[in-house]
Amino acid sequence: MPRQIVVDPDQALAPTRLTMPAIAVHAYDRPFAEERAARGDAPLMEALRHMLVIRAFEEMLSSFKATGRHGEIAYTYKGPAHLSIGQEGAAVGAALALAPNDFIFGSHRSHGEFLAKGLAAIANGDEADLDAIMAGHDGGRLRDTVARALGGEGRALAENFLLFGFLAEIFMRSNGFNGGMGGSMHAFFPPFGAYPNNAIVGASAGIATGAALRRRLAGEDGICVAHAGDGATGCGPVFEAMNFASMAQFDTLWQPPYDGGLPVLFFFTNNFYAMGGQTAGETMGWDRLSRIGAGVNASAMHAETVDGTNPLAVADAVARKRALLREGKGPALLDVECYRSCGHSTTDANAYRSREEIALWEPHDPIARFSGMLVDAGVTSEAGIEAMRGEVAERIAAVVRAVVDPKIAPPVDVAANPVLIGQMMFSHGQIDVPSGPSTLAGPVEDSAALRKLGRKARNGRGEDGASVSPMRAITLRDGLTEAIVHHMAHDGRLVAWGEECREWGGAFGVYRGLADVLPHHRLFNAPISEAAIVATAIGHAMAGGRSLVELMYADFIGRAGDEIFNQLAKWQAMSAGMLQLPVVLRTSVGSKYGAQHSQDLTALIAHIPGLKVVYPATPFDAKGLMASALSSNDPVVVFESQRLYDKVETLAGDGVPADYYRVPIGLPDIKRHGRDVTVLTIGPSLYPALDAAEELAALGIEAEIVDARTLVPFDHAPVLASVARTGHLLVVSEACERGSFAQTLAATVTRHGFADLKAAPVVLGAPNWIVPGADMETTYFPQAHDIVEAVTGAFHPERKVNRRGVRSWDALDLARRGI
Amino acid sequence: MTPVLVPQLGNEITEAEVAEWLKAEGDTVDQGEPIVSISTTKMTFELDAPASGTLQKIIVPEGEIAEVGDTLAEIG
Ligand SMILES: Cc1ncc(C[n+]2csc(CCOP(=O)(O)OP(=O)(O)O)c2C)c(N)n1
Ligand SMILES: [Mg+2]
Repeated sequence: MPRQIVVDPDQALAPTRLTMPAIAVHAYDRPFAEERAARGDAPLMEALRHMLVIRAFEEMLSSFKATGRHGEIAYTYKGPAHLSIGQEGAAVGAALALAPNDFIFGSHRSHGEFLAKGLAAIANGDEADLDAIMAGHDGGRLRDTVARALGGEGRALAENFLLFGFLAEIFMRSNGFNGGMGGSMHAFFPPFGAYPNNAIVGASAGIATGAALRRRLAGEDGICVAHAGDGATGCGPVFEAMNFASMAQFDTLWQPPYDGGLPVLFFFTNNFYAMGGQTAGETMGWDRLSRIGAGVNASAMHAETVDGTNPLAVADAVARKRALLREGKGPALLDVECYRSCGHSTTDANAYRSREEIALWEPHDPIARFSGMLVDAGVTSEAGIEAMRGEVAERIAAVVRAVVDPKIAPPVDVAANPVLIGQMMFSHGQIDVPSGPSTLAGPVEDSAALRKLGRKARNGRGEDGASVSPMRAITLRDGLTEAIVHHMAHDGRLVAWGEECREWGGAFGVYRGLADVLPHHRLFNAPISEAAIVATAIGHAMAGGRSLVELMYADFIGRAGDEIFNQLAKWQAMSAGMLQLPVVLRTSVGSKYGAQHSQDLTALIAHIPGLKVVYPATPFDAKGLMASALSSNDPVVVFESQRLYDKVETLAGDGVPADYYRVPIGLPDIKRHGRDVTVLTIGPSLYPALDAAEELAALGIEAEIVDARTLVPFDHAPVLASVARTGHLLVVSEACERGSFAQTLAATVTRHGFADLKAAPVVLGAPNWIVPGADMETTYFPQAHDIVEAVTGAFHPERKVNRRGVRSWDALDLARRGI
Repeated sequence: MTPVLVPQLGNEITEAEVAEWLKAEGDTVDQGEPIVSISTTKMTFELDAPASGTLQKIIVPEGEIAEVGDTLAEIG
């Protein structure tokens, strides 16, 4: 399909001048009397109360950290406390303008935002909805506990539920909102529209953007707010997210009702500091944070700087941005200035700012200011505010008393179930086989590339037994395509994106033809933003979608490091299973492209708890494992070897079935039987191992070749059973040997199959140096002759053959030299 | 007659499949206009008419595989 946007040189090269929209700074000037008339006194008093609740909550935590007490209650809280004292106006102002079904995503300093959103959802939500939310969480158990310990009905009960669930989470109790698995920096509760807070600076930007994508596609009304600090403007992934949300294709290529920039508001609570570094004036180039909007798109992201010490100024701005987002004019950016009057954390000595500066900001304390406005206008009196403060203090004290009581809020009992936390890593859930009417734009036959698959032979072995050309038989690439086409056709929630995914068909052709039958909102080209590609996939899945994203080369995993290691891997467990992340992350392992494009990084991914990892080597397994990955409710990383994309099926007797099927994730497969040695391979090493088995057979050694297929999870039973028959194990992979998954497998088999082993297992991987250029690759990746030498050298010295490879070195000496 | 040939597509590629004829026999074609899309295992290309005239004869129909250098059609 040709490109739809012509790059016209006459237009591109014509002289012109770029102009930027003016960015308003503190333009809010509505008289308080107008606000009062528009909002009414009760909601204004409610806003004050919400600020007082946040202040009292944060001061309570501060007091525990500093003195081990809050009033008469003694308790040692060991976790972190990034408090937001002084920033309440920003949090409550934003929540004032948000609807219960808008989502917020927080930062490390988001207690205030969480409470503000929850309190607003409770104040404005339907009572029946609140009851349903409380009944729906943990089978109503938390509601019952709160009702017994703290009482209350309707909204009052819901507030106690919010405060108890949140504090219990911060104190890592089993009935905290996230089962004690999140804690202070990560607590959240989606039913109130409060999605995860995030301890990684700026990480919510991409996740909120992905959630906004899902909301647009699902036809949901609400917007998403990405909360971050001013320091987060130094983070690449934040810029990637802002650009992703602004992609021109939403207007130029996407069709109604899916078109328009994404409904996400980047809300920067700008307290002028990122820990001890000062943003404006020291670590950043901008003078005003809002200026960065102009670097992202022509509407400057509708950026504004607003006064975060006045909740009404913030509410006014958020309401206007929210309206723009709902019109499809997103994203938007707000620079919300305010001052953190407490330390960054409780160990902050305030060495980076002067007492004079802190004193200058005292009159701008949002609670003092807002109280003043209310009293001056006669909405309430000093005494009225004091009474409110007293009620809030009592409520917080009651919540604290309940939460520190282990009978009411039991600690997480790991001793009673040592694998309790482990059980939260995966749900192991999967969807039914997608069926029903096709969601494609047209029949598969409309695509020449997809038609071609139907004409190919299913079996890669011809009648003469020789391997068929990849032009004529289904390849590993085709197997992946077929599974993806099935899921794309029958599961409208599934959306795919990555670099060059559409017209190009994916850098290695796995999506070839899909652009003919899928509209842009199901399959789209992403910017070269690996962090945003993964982060948006997570947000999209968190909000109810299913995501299929691609990193062109596994070597680019580092560009999405936080997103894979801290976000994709961890949110299921950090939510105690409340969140599911059906994300398939495809990535290719290169070949012939040298050191930065050819490294097998499977061990890196397998090392991080919370990711399933597959590495198919045959077309049959590729199709079946991709189907399982796309069906999985847990995140799955699929490694694909570029060297294997053109492989036809020569091992499975009946070739690759045309119909849909799944290969279970976690089960190694015996590809050749033998009684003398077990050769366990990972990924492409299967093929040199099969060649080696032929050579070994000529020497009278029968090798059993087992393809790992999956790294996580991994069922050792077939391997241990094989070793019980052969007594020998060689593990072969293309990853550098040091710290590789092959080493892990060898160590585990040594431990559990020791009695059956006649010699120590051997690991044959790549040496611990860079992948060399194409001409030298055979000196680097294990070849058939290396495998023959390893087997004969280590296990069958009586059959020792002449050396053909280059591997003559002393591993211990190399280790001593760091190689 | 001008033959439409399968071009050299890269070092390791020896054959390509006719994915789709964009013109039918008897159609007039202009030099440089895409007339057929061919695919290898990795990529799909459109081949341009090497000359202007009438697409006289399609020699390799859709779905068949041809080797580099083979004649796919004739323009006259
Ligand atoms: C990626 C990352 N780098 C560094 C940190 C350590 N850290 C935690 S908070 C913080 C300062 C963040 O400043 P800002 O975004 O302005 O938020 P604030 O703390 O002012 O609310 C830093 C550097 C982190 N958590 N994540
Ligand atoms: Mg800051």
